Amino acid sequence: MSRGAYLMDLGLVPYGEALELQRSLAGAVTQGAIPETVIFLEHPPVVTVGRRTETGELHLPEDAEVEIVETDRGGKSTFHGPGQLVCYPILDLAKHGKDVKLYVRNLEDALVRTLSAFDLEGTTIEGLTGVWMPPGGGPGPRKIASIGVHVSRWVTTHGYALNVDLDLAPFTHWITACGLEDAAFTTMARELERPITVEDVRPAAITAIAEVFGLELEELPADEGAGLWAQPIHASLAAR
Amino acid sequence: MSERLETAAKLYDEAAKELDRAARHCEVAAQHFRDNLVPRGAAHAWAARGHLLEAETRLDEQAREHSKRSSV
Repeated sequence: MSRGAYLMDLGLVPYGEALELQRSLAGAVTQGAIPETVIFLEHPPVVTVGRRTETGELHLPEDAEVEIVETDRGGKSTFHGPGQLVCYPILDLAKHGKDVKLYVRNLEDALVRTLSAFDLEGTTIEGLTGVWMPPGGGPGPRKIASIGVHVSRWVTTHGYALNVDLDLAPFTHWITACGLEDAAFTTMARELERPITVEDVRPAAITAIAEVFGLELEELPADEGAGLWAQPIHASLAAR
Repeated sequence: MSERLETAAKLYDEAAKELDRAARHCEVAAQHFRDNLVPRGAAHAWAARGHLLEAETRLDEQAREHSKRSSV
């Protein structure tokens, strides 16, 4: 059974603002003030450090123009930048099985389905989170999407980052991304051998998230239209 | 200070923090709406609503505790 949820396409948002927003929206979801919400956005260049990041993972050059932010998500360090599709689902896992491992597997499934829409066969690797492109004659698997989640009172924050088309040098030159020594990273553009944009990929990502989590997503229009959505608060205002 | 008063003080501290957060989100929402960034403005508006409800929950909790002891 599908259930209604909000879909927000926020464009380019600084990491700190997005983090604060997620935490607060998670509170609103917990309170029942808003339905479950899925956020899509991009970040300006930023290195984020998770709860499992180890000393030595960061080796940024002095002149690197990048923000470094400590977060409360699981996982190790990673890089975000324009050209990467970031998805932060604010879901109540009480409605999705109360199983964090299953939630992460579902995010991976959504990513695999998104890639499949472009005839790319993403895969998962036992013992590692994220989605990879299989070797296919190359030296080894190449990581195309990262996952890091946080769950509080069964409500989720953080989510996934899918490399659509961006410079991959920061993943290896600036940090040991995900704590993986000698890991290779890739983008959809590189795999497809043609340019592709976040805007091209977003519709498939939205469809995949909706299918995997059984959500009927309603997108907030980008023009004047805010408040036209039915919100739980409307009913309580009408009753006053 | 009595334990009961300290408990009440903590609830008000928590309510104040939630109201501060709500105020910050309202300010950011206002700026985004002025910049015609409607989805970002709406996201912060809903975030503010969540913090208001959290604050209300704390104040209700204290009111319930107070009502148990009210004799007038």
